[in-house]
Amino acid sequence: MRVLAFDTAMPACSVAVVECGGAGAEILAHRFEPRARGHAEVLMDQIAETMSDAGVGYSDLDRLAVTTGPGTFTGVRIGVAAARGMALGTGLPLVGVTTLEALAAAGAGLTGGSVAAAIDARRGEVYVQCFSNDLTPLSEPCVVTPADAADVLRGHTPLIVGTGARIMRDVCGEAAGFTFDAAAPELSDACHVACRGAVKPSDGPPPSPFYLRAPDAKLPQRKDG
Amino acid sequence: MSAQTKFPQSENRPLVVLGIESSCDETAAAIVRRDALGNGEILSNEVRSQDAAHAPYGGVVPEIAARAHVEHLDRIVARALMNASLGLDGVDAISATAGPGLIGGIIAGLMTAKGLALVTGKPFVAVNHLEGHALTARLTDGIAFPYLLLLVSGGHTQLLIVENVGQYTRLGTTLDDALGEAFDKTAKLLGLGYPGGPAVEREAASGDRNAISLPRPLMGQDDCNFSFSGLKTAVLHAVNRTHRDDPDLRADICAAFQEAAADCLRDRTGRAMTRFEARHNDLETPVLVVAGGVAANTRLREVLNNLCQARGYRLCCPPHALCTDNAAMIAWAAAERLAGGAADNLDVMPRARWPLDPDAEAVPGAGVKA
Repeated sequence: MRVLAFDTAMPACSVAVVECGGAGAEILAHRFEPRARGHAEVLMDQIAETMSDAGVGYSDLDRLAVTTGPGTFTGVRIGVAAARGMALGTGLPLVGVTTLEALAAAGAGLTGGSVAAAIDARRGEVYVQCFSNDLTPLSEPCVVTPADAADVLRGHTPLIVGTGARIMRDVCGEAAGFTFDAAAPELSDACHVACRGAVKPSDGPPPSPFYLRAPDAKLPQRKDG
Repeated sequence: MSAQTKFPQSENRPLVVLGIESSCDETAAAIVRRDALGNGEILSNEVRSQDAAHAPYGGVVPEIAARAHVEHLDRIVARALMNASLGLDGVDAISATAGPGLIGGIIAGLMTAKGLALVTGKPFVAVNHLEGHALTARLTDGIAFPYLLLLVSGGHTQLLIVENVGQYTRLGTTLDDALGEAFDKTAKLLGLGYPGGPAVEREAASGDRNAISLPRPLMGQDDCNFSFSGLKTAVLHAVNRTHRDDPDLRADICAAFQEAAADCLRDRTGRAMTRFEARHNDLETPVLVVAGGVAANTRLREVLNNLCQARGYRLCCPPHALCTDNAAMIAWAAAERLAGGAADNLDVMPRARWPLDPDAEAVPGAGVKA
């Protein structure tokens, strides 16, 4: 199955065209560029260049995949809105993959055991979820303090990957049975989004952003209560 | 501003353009046709309002708006195509609002359009939302350049000379609140709910506009600028002096507020007319176009109509659905630009601020949104 995937949910912009088959995955073309902002400007050129490198057109694809978050709200919307526009324009199936799952997929090869993706959510919190080595979820995705994240992960003794790994290490060290690996990925990458996207059902509603946080909005206080 | 690409278009070919608008709280998509003579036709015009989602907050919450846009954009675009009985192959170009407005929503619409343009290989146009409002009168009434434009909405209050596509001279703008914002805030102070424009107008109908004295900020001044924050504060004081739950007083406050706003518009627009005439003294019947959601207010329209009669102008108010935020105006502005041979690259940046007249003199306090 040939998948075009991209990811703008974290401080990077990545695009990949991957042939995902039973025997494994062959990356036909891939771009990964660390960047804190400007995803909306560069994404289309990156996709066009990656497609051109892969030597394929949109009619040669079997599906599209995009990260749905959690990550920056704006980054998540850039990716999901572009992907839904592209799906409408091509008629291709579109599937969503969370950044947590894409990160765990990247970390699974570094260990024989479970993998936890932890992403710096700022405001003193991390987005966190634990997976088995075959990427079966072992916990629900959540946004919590690092200390609470340690409670979520206790008992699974995972390898922790993602921008939140450093935070977790600072807060709980290796005492909790967690492992850290200097080679572990910090950011999600479109290659893993493609591979995870290839194994998901594609007949559901179009993917929605997965924010894990409610919008910051306060209801006005009624003066006359 | 991103690089423009040349669009190989001669004036003598009809164009069908898809437009997307998401810069505030309406998710909209439309298909517009511009024929070889420059006449416009709306083939479909879909708008999904988010009023209900924002009403509890008494105003638009940017993050809630952005989330809703992403959720509905592709479906609204599909519906616009369906209602125009067209597939994407029947569309010549894709366009979207790239600013000014709430950046989260703009990004959602812009990226949807970019994605569509990328995979279809069709030309892409990034439209200035204000230019959409400015050119609507050409779509609906075939108004010729140049004309005077009063743009009054929840986000903008400006007087501009529309010289040509992409060519604007700003004569005046608001120093603080937009007039629509002042209507919303007045409604909120009186507990009338959101959106405030229609609510205030409804109340004002049974009120006495002379019962309460409210200021007319900047009236009589030599420039064409507006200011409404002092008027809003005066409403607040009037509310505090009285009991807002007294329906008669509430109606009086609304009527007095609406009348003060009308006086300001008449005075400022009258001055803009003088400047417009100084620049274009060869027009037989000059035209004043009033666009933006506030143009729906009957009393304001009446006052502007009287002004136009007194000054020998033709007043052009596009229908209400095309004065409030919509995507037909975006598709039309894109068609007008394409007819001139201009298109944009897909690296266009979304812009929270994007003045129509970048050369306009800076006005202290103004230009927050445009």
